[in-house]
Amino acid sequence: MAVKTEGKGSPRADATHLIDPIAVAIRTRRPQDPAGTGRFIPTDPSPGLDVARNPRVARLLSSRRLQFFMILPNQIIFWLVIGIGLLGAVDPGLNFATAITWYLWFCLVFVMMVVIGRAWCAICPFGGFGEWVQRHTFWNRTTSTIGLGLKMPEKVAQYGFLLSVGTFLLLTWIEEYFNIAGPGNPASTSFMVLGIVASALVFFLVFERRTFCRYLCPLSALVGSVGAMGSVAGFRTRDRNVCLSCQTKECMRGGEDAYGCAWYTWPGSSDSNLSCGLCTECYKACPNDNIGLFIQKPLTSVVAPTRRRADVAWSVAILFGLVVYQQLNALSPFASLDSWLNAHTYFPQYPNPLNYVGTIAGVTLLLVAGAKAFQKTFASPDAVIVEGGRNFNDRTSKFRFYFLPLMYGIIPVVGADYFARQLPKFFLHVPRVVTAIGHLFGHGTTTSKLYNTSLISSSAGIIAVQVAVMVMGTAAAMWASWKIAGRDLAPASVNRRAVQVGAAGFAFVCGAATAVLYVLMNAAS
Amino acid sequence: MTLTELFVNNTPHVTVFVDRCAGCQECVIRCPSGALSMEPTTWTVLADDSACVGCRQCVRTCPFSAISVGGPMLVTERHDPPLHHPVELRGNVDETRVGFATWDEAIAEASRCLECPDPTCVRGCPAHNNIPQFIAAVRDHDLATAHRILSRTTVIPDICSRVCNQSAQCEGSCSWSLAGGEPVAIGRLERFIADQAPVPAPSMTSEAWVEHAGGGMSVGIIGSGPAGIGAAWDLIESGASVTVYEKESTPGGLCMWGMPDFTLPEAVATRPWQQLTAAGVDLRCGIVIQPEDVDRLLDEHDAVVVAHGAGVAIRLPVPGADLEGVVDATQFLQGAKAALEPVGNAQEFLGRLGLAPTNSTGTPFRVLVLGAGNTAMDVARMARRLGLDAMCIDWLDERFALARPDELAEARHEGVEVRFQRTLTTLKGFAGRVDLAELTHTVQEESGRQPKVLTGRHDRLKVNLVVMAMGYRVDPAFAEVLSHVPIRKKATGVSDGQWRASGIMANAASAYANHSPVGELALDREVGLWAAALPVDERLWVVGDALTGPSTVVEAMAQGRRAARAILDAQPSRPGGAERRPSVAKRVLVCHESAGGTTAATATAIAGQLAAFGARVTTLPIAEVGARELAAADVVVVGTWVEGLVVARVHPAKATRKWLEAMPRLGSRPVGIFCTYGVDPKSTLSEMRSAIEAKGGVIAGERAFGPKDREGDAGHLGTGDFVRALVAQLGLEANVAPSSVPWRTLDSVRVVSR
Repeated sequence: MAVKTEGKGSPRADATHLIDPIAVAIRTRRPQDPAGTGRFIPTDPSPGLDVARNPRVARLLSSRRLQFFMILPNQIIFWLVIGIGLLGAVDPGLNFATAITWYLWFCLVFVMMVVIGRAWCAICPFGGFGEWVQRHTFWNRTTSTIGLGLKMPEKVAQYGFLLSVGTFLLLTWIEEYFNIAGPGNPASTSFMVLGIVASALVFFLVFERRTFCRYLCPLSALVGSVGAMGSVAGFRTRDRNVCLSCQTKECMRGGEDAYGCAWYTWPGSSDSNLSCGLCTECYKACPNDNIGLFIQKPLTSVVAPTRRRADVAWSVAILFGLVVYQQLNALSPFASLDSWLNAHTYFPQYPNPLNYVGTIAGVTLLLVAGAKAFQKTFASPDAVIVEGGRNFNDRTSKFRFYFLPLMYGIIPVVGADYFARQLPKFFLHVPRVVTAIGHLFGHGTTTSKLYNTSLISSSAGIIAVQVAVMVMGTAAAMWASWKIAGRDLAPASVNRRAVQVGAAGFAFVCGAATAVLYVLMNAAS
Repeated sequence: MTLTELFVNNTPHVTVFVDRCAGCQECVIRCPSGALSMEPTTWTVLADDSACVGCRQCVRTCPFSAISVGGPMLVTERHDPPLHHPVELRGNVDETRVGFATWDEAIAEASRCLECPDPTCVRGCPAHNNIPQFIAAVRDHDLATAHRILSRTTVIPDICSRVCNQSAQCEGSCSWSLAGGEPVAIGRLERFIADQAPVPAPSMTSEAWVEHAGGGMSVGIIGSGPAGIGAAWDLIESGASVTVYEKESTPGGLCMWGMPDFTLPEAVATRPWQQLTAAGVDLRCGIVIQPEDVDRLLDEHDAVVVAHGAGVAIRLPVPGADLEGVVDATQFLQGAKAALEPVGNAQEFLGRLGLAPTNSTGTPFRVLVLGAGNTAMDVARMARRLGLDAMCIDWLDERFALARPDELAEARHEGVEVRFQRTLTTLKGFAGRVDLAELTHTVQEESGRQPKVLTGRHDRLKVNLVVMAMGYRVDPAFAEVLSHVPIRKKATGVSDGQWRASGIMANAASAYANHSPVGELALDREVGLWAAALPVDERLWVVGDALTGPSTVVEAMAQGRRAARAILDAQPSRPGGAERRPSVAKRVLVCHESAGGTTAATATAIAGQLAAFGARVTTLPIAEVGARELAAADVVVVGTWVEGLVVARVHPAKATRKWLEAMPRLGSRPVGIFCTYGVDPKSTLSEMRSAIEAKGGVIAGERAFGPKDREGDAGHLGTGDFVRALVAQLGLEANVAPSSVPWRTLDSVRVVSR
């Protein structure tokens, strides 16, 4: 049947005399096809795992209002958090702001990361609010933006997620200093949330697209790296050849009905869910209906990528240092060390910055030393590392050759560790969320039954769950490390099996050490 | 390494920001020098500095700004032949701009062309000449090929190369210009081709696709300016019978009476009409077509093209504008041109303007020219040739001047004083004749922004003659009859993806282009170009300045050709005339606005049924349908979902309403309308009908499809009656029963939007 459907601007054989002369003059070079190098074979999800093939899902994803309504509930909750934190009950267990933020939200975020990936980013009220202001609309496609629209200078941008790790470390230190997540005074929680909203807004007004989310959001590195365990691959190309021959790249530049990718990600070359904010814009923009929303097996984005990023690896190492610090600070000898340092450095209170930075750096350096030892042990003397570029993410060395895959391999340990660290508060106090909601309407008090109820009240029970989580995380990390080592490290190592065992062992040591710490912490929150 | 080598970076250096580089290859496929490739492991761009020429095309085309280029542009200096300044101006109308004198000069300049894979100059040229290819032909010393390439898109290269403002068009869009350098002298190279060998005359065998397409068709063209030339050229080549009605005694329109010989020699300006009349065009000069005569012409011809231009000079409504000695540019230019001809009488002309043979003070008379565009420059330079002092004033900033930069330089060299950032506030007279002009200072901060008038800063100027040369407008009498033109030539919304991808929209306000956004201007021109292909009424096309208001010679010519091709596609025939059948199958455009996919699926089903009748069907979401798509359709089908409350009011979807409002004229095209609804469509179809009829469309069929239709017998959509009504308009015979086309799924039909 001679029914044709064409994109805008394509030559029309049926308009015999009306030929667009521009098309005749274009002789673009043939794009290089990555198929020859097999570049994307390990990371491309199976076409059958495209949930956007479902007409209902497709309809949903096509709607411009989808993002707005996904963000709206969180937007309402977080503005309530700001208001109620400042004006509500002083008792953090009765205040909706503290109860929902620290007993429920922070735990749920990790569940979302591990299961979906950047699910939080799709519903994040901070980025959402900044984006609404920047685009001066809730959901429409506008052609102008508010703000300066600057690009993150490359000298800074080259460090990628490390900037986000930096802001996360700073925020965590502030949180510890003011005992925000303890939780302490609910107003502190309000100020923290307000601070994030304000800084996000400033960055949205100064920089273009989602520069804040990509580089500076305190949670971005954590969500991105731990989210690699998730089962949502994000928006990817259905047929790479269609993307290669696409003449408009509206998924990147934006089109009639959609904005270009705000995360600087091109579905045509995406090989993990690392930087896909699930914002659906590329899906809406594609003129060829060539973008799908793919699901994948858990850990695929940890194991499969052939290009491992230095910023992600260093982020994993530092984030591991931070979570270990948060475990150690629950131990009484560590508290004594902090007090001793405070006394000698004239710092007023916990946490001592030297102790904070020193511990995180120490754990990170331990990982570095481990990777270095790994390299010394397993590297083949004949292996030659391909020369890299000058950019932070582009440089190559024998150390990086081992360090990067090893850090990717322990992502499940880091994810499990952060999750397990939140469990005591969740198990002990999450029913207080109901009390806090009731308190808003004059019902909940500190004597309410739910206020004094715990999902698991015994330390042994909580420790058992924490250790179980760590066992699962460690097992996942060992499996991932085994796979990664077999594919990435073996070709340049002395013995394939040995390097696999070594990598899995590296993950085991990391996981086992943190599991032991949970036993020693005795379910401290 | 010497100190110079150490400290002076004399080669371009490309930096790829690997964090942002997504490996899309937009830069790789467009790099003119092949300096970019892909790094297979990281799948990011790899740059070879030694191959980079510094044109920055990669910077402009990268969607994520992930690449930068430092260092110089590796291109030789542009070669511009020196201007020919007449030693004695009085009475001299010799051409002042000269072309390349030798092949060596032309080839040297042609060698500066990068032959960009996605040439922005082509988009910048209003006629979309294939510039890289004709320049390559010059480089190859192949004049025949160069002419052949040019003839595909222009029939007046000799005129355009002399009068076009290349700095805001092709040359302003040249990669070198966009990068901040000096563009290839495209205009001069075009002129070199046109001057070296005669421009080929209209030929029935010039292009196979137009041959005989117009056989037996009679087309009347009102006006013989560039738009009329463009339309007549393609129609006569196709075998149509073309009659041109020109009110003046000589053909050529603005090119003849509005351009002095020192800019456009008469021999060049008359060349197209000599060739057209020789090819068989029936040129009827001295015949004034009044607006009310259009209907009569439509009875006489199968199609009529209105190309009467915009010849009414704009007058500034200031106190004293009605004094004696205040004239408009048309009046001055026509008189001056005749006066400066060998048989003309300059003194008699000056006497008619009230300028006595000599000034009582012994100094030359002063002419104040209002405006500093190209027409104003022509007026002032003509005045100099008549022995007068000339001063131009314009309220724009000189950086954003509308005149060609070379024309401005020439005018100043010839002694014309040009004052920018001035506006006329009052003209005062003595004994009923203009004597004094009061000017106020202005300030303009950005290109395209209206200047602000500064109060308190005035100039007083003694003047003997004031010429208003601020431009022209369409004859209001015609505008009353053709109430839908002139159209607003402005591209709105998100610009076309391919245009943005080419890089012309990025950093497109170079100093060379007088800081004008060449990409935006070019896109605006596209609006006029595609609007020219659509008839404003049944069998009536309007082109050139008559369509878009005052514009350029090249745009008018391109619009004329585009209208001619649309006529060849549409094959119109007057009542009682010979019925012609198009050589191609009837083209149906099914456009839809769909929210959940139901309307799109219905559109697809309708498309399938129409295709079963032998039509060539295209389905597109309405967001992708503009004048270009409508121009390529004989029948249009518009479908929408409905929104609103059943208890209150149900509308076509908002996007549909906006689209219908912005839709160009349909020129009596048959239009089918449908909507899909859940409960009750209420007045949806009547609203659509009114909107389409207001745009000149003829409703051929309408239908609302409800839930029951979608559940129809055996999963078939009840579109039969609706499609049959459309088929009747198409004149097609059923070869497949429409009911055999199933609802919802058609293997060969893919809906673009979801």
